[in-house]
Amino acid sequence: MSLFQATRLARRELRGGLAGFRIFLACVILGVAAIGAIGTVRDSIQAGLAAQGAALLGGDAELELTYRFADETELAWMREVSDALSEVADFRSMAVVGDARALTQVKAVDGAYPLVGAVRLDPDMPLAEALATGALPGAVMDPALMAQLGLEIGDQFSLGTQDFQLNAALMLEPDNATAGFGLGPRTIVQRAALLGSGLLAPGTLYSTRYRLDLPPGSNLADMEAKAEQQFENSGMRWRDARNGAPGVTLFVDRLGAFLVLVGLSGLAVGGVGISAALRGYLAGKNRTIATLRTIGASRRVIFLTYLLQVAALAVVGILVGLALGVGGTLMLSPVIGAHLPVPAIFAPYPAPMLEAAIYSALTVLIFTLWPLARTEDIRAAMLFRDALESAPSLPRWPYLVASALLLAALLGIAAWFNGNPTLTFWAAGGIVIALAVLSLAARAVRALARRLRRVGRHRPALGWALAAIGGPGTTVGPVLLSLGLGLSVLATVGQIDGNLRGAIARDLPGKAPSFFFVDLQKDQMPGFLGRVEGDQGVSRVDNAPMLRGIITQINGQPARDVAGDHWVLNGDRGISYSALPPSRGKVTAGTWWGADYDGPPQVSFSAESAEEMGLHLGDTLTLNILGRDITATLTSLRTVDFSTAGMGFVMVMNPSALDAAPHSFIATVYADTKAEAGLMRDITTTYPNVTAIRVRDAIERVSDMLAGLASAVSWGASITLLTGFLVLIGASAADQPNRRYEAAVLKTLGASRARILASLVWRSALLGAVAGSVALGSGILGGWAVSHYIFETHFDVIWSSAVAIIGAGLCVTLLAGLAFAWGPLTARPAAILRARE
Amino acid sequence: MLMGGLERATGGTVKALGHDLGALSEDQLAMMRRNHFGVVFQSFHLIPTMTALENVATPLELTGKRDAFERAQEELTAVGLAHRLDHYPAQLSGGEQQRVALARAAAPCPDIVLADEPTGNLDSANGATIVDLLFDLHARHGSTLVLVTHDPALAQRCDRVIQLRDGCIVTSEAA
Repeated sequence: MSLFQATRLARRELRGGLAGFRIFLACVILGVAAIGAIGTVRDSIQAGLAAQGAALLGGDAELELTYRFADETELAWMREVSDALSEVADFRSMAVVGDARALTQVKAVDGAYPLVGAVRLDPDMPLAEALATGALPGAVMDPALMAQLGLEIGDQFSLGTQDFQLNAALMLEPDNATAGFGLGPRTIVQRAALLGSGLLAPGTLYSTRYRLDLPPGSNLADMEAKAEQQFENSGMRWRDARNGAPGVTLFVDRLGAFLVLVGLSGLAVGGVGISAALRGYLAGKNRTIATLRTIGASRRVIFLTYLLQVAALAVVGILVGLALGVGGTLMLSPVIGAHLPVPAIFAPYPAPMLEAAIYSALTVLIFTLWPLARTEDIRAAMLFRDALESAPSLPRWPYLVASALLLAALLGIAAWFNGNPTLTFWAAGGIVIALAVLSLAARAVRALARRLRRVGRHRPALGWALAAIGGPGTTVGPVLLSLGLGLSVLATVGQIDGNLRGAIARDLPGKAPSFFFVDLQKDQMPGFLGRVEGDQGVSRVDNAPMLRGIITQINGQPARDVAGDHWVLNGDRGISYSALPPSRGKVTAGTWWGADYDGPPQVSFSAESAEEMGLHLGDTLTLNILGRDITATLTSLRTVDFSTAGMGFVMVMNPSALDAAPHSFIATVYADTKAEAGLMRDITTTYPNVTAIRVRDAIERVSDMLAGLASAVSWGASITLLTGFLVLIGASAADQPNRRYEAAVLKTLGASRARILASLVWRSALLGAVAGSVALGSGILGGWAVSHYIFETHFDVIWSSAVAIIGAGLCVTLLAGLAFAWGPLTARPAAILRARE
Repeated sequence: MLMGGLERATGGTVKALGHDLGALSEDQLAMMRRNHFGVVFQSFHLIPTMTALENVATPLELTGKRDAFERAQEELTAVGLAHRLDHYPAQLSGGEQQRVALARAAAPCPDIVLADEPTGNLDSANGATIVDLLFDLHARHGSTLVLVTHDPALAQRCDRVIQLRDGCIVTSEAA
């Protein structure tokens, strides 16, 4: 019965129009649109990756080996289980044209490549034709690399000792989802053409990938189990079309989850606006509610009447928001798709729409429950005096419990949707703490403004502004809450990004080596060292033998069972050997083997990594190196400094354990910038098989990637700021009658319009500066915490970002403030004063 | 409202202190009020974000008085509110608010004080106090007091009474 009555009453009230609910609707729409759009892009990419799994992988399944090709037995097994097999070798090398040389990621393919998908070339031709051997073997190359080397179609270049003719530009490589993360642009050649190049000699750094075209109906999980059995302890890694680009999928998943959480912060700011809008609306309804109470409406009917109105508006807002967010994404899909490095299938996916709708509905309920609960406190006596003034500030306990349950539901659902409870709870905690800090900051600012009133004496415009900020009815709370969160996220991103990129791009080149030279053969070392050590511009050279291997077991147990998901277990790691302890760094526990030790294998481990992995002296590690298992005892721990990007091995073994295995050397060279070009030219000319990785180039690539990530997060945070701006507009609109009244009284006392305008500008500017400063404070604190505790880097305040944040705060409040200045400035005092008589 | 330049006449002219108020711009009218008028309203019209002291000091600040706050304090003391200087309007009773408004009108020693139904929103005791203060102010500062009232007894305390009915002057005589 109550619901029926409430429905009728709600319908009649809504007939009056949505004038009081514009900001309410705008906040819901923006929040839903942002989260819906982020979710749709994320799911579109996931769908694209799933649908293109086989193409991204280059086959139904892939077996990857490090450092070696499959032997005949292994090849026979692969041929037996598949309809077609393709072998690809992947490695870094130097592409050389005259004096120009550039790092390239080479893919050496067979005639079957690509098993799935197609390579697109310019000029358009089959890959086999482009790679065919004429006078010279053919090659295709990424246009960026062609531009870097000044190559045109038909020109020659060399890889190692082998010359190639460039026959086409590589426009699309189907199995290259992770191209954006590589250090060099791609070159594709035939593997057969590299036989004499010295680039795939035993001990050089390369990986081989065997793509299988499996018979229709093959069970990929079964195949994986069979492969694991067949290649047990051989260092083989299996991937299949179920997840063709696992790294990319994980990355998109994580970034999407993070951006949705940033979107949730926007919804939280919107919630502040929603709550304020509803309070304003209900304040205007006090007499209506009192009248309804006079004629016998129960508290329940009153509560339901307004709850139903809120629900109806929320549904409208959610539907419009979904239409805007999802529809807008679909409309822009050609543009978005063109900028994505991975395939995406754009469609209206139900999951992100449901996610956005649920988040928004719960947020609306959380932020409207308390104002709605206060309708129950309005009594019939309100018609005769302001009885609400004596109402308690907290609602009754059932509403407190309901609020807590709704909040828990929101967090639980967010954690379930993004699959990362830890990140969700940290983000939610951050939002709650930020809102609490901003509320406290608002109180502090009010108190400060009251204390500073003396500063405003004899400066009337400033004095009035301080009085408005510190006095009753101030808007400092809504301004700080609405703007502060968005600005705080932006400030934190700015400080973290600036410091991280600063540490990598500004500080690292000062202490990092100029070059890594890899694939140096043992017999090349004397000549190489002679050249670099004899160079006046070289200040330091480090070199070490290097092999690569995977830790498969710890104390006879599968390594992941013992040490979990530690990064050292992620793929293969560089391993060195040495008779003597390292000159840089020191042994912190255990003892180093003797210089002529020739007993069972021993290994020295990075002390920090060992602690993280729970390793102790005496533990045994089984390493798969070149397909062979070596079990070594952990006999010492030592410090390894990875922060300088110099040479550092997690694992070093005694020489006799490894020196018989085919291997090459790696060297780091610290040189003046002026000496770099000559060194690179001489070394790669004298030793064509050697790859030079210029650290400065690598740093630029990493820095660019970080910039891209920071930009994505900043765009997400901008939505929060935009929501904040809307809330601010709402607060300014709600406050306008007070400003008009104040201006009317001031005019009566003799204040000119210029002075009143100056006061409004002061007020907006002070509030904006305070919002920016509080946000900057949070940003600096957050940036310092992340730099100090997570990245363990030195922290400096990034002043350019700081100035931008305060500037943004100023601009946004000035815009919102001045947009509503016209009314107070132009209104005639008499009409306004009379209205209050 | 017309005499204070708060509203523009739709016909005829309004002259005050030799100025045609209809010919002045909004800012010139504001200057006129700042330099020559004090206004007391029925509904007090204090600025809610300012304390009693700040409300009274505001017109003095506008005229650039260096001792604005000292004089504001003196005026508030004169109306019996020395103990309420830092209170906001919402923390004051109706009578106290009207006394603040009175002090605000008197503080710049205006040539003319316009009082529009100053006791209309007050009980009789507070109304009587305000009227006494109003006449005391008139006596102390020598300002011309223009008092608008429906109370014939109060009107009789003035030097001259102009009676209006339906917008027209009915009588104009010395009390």
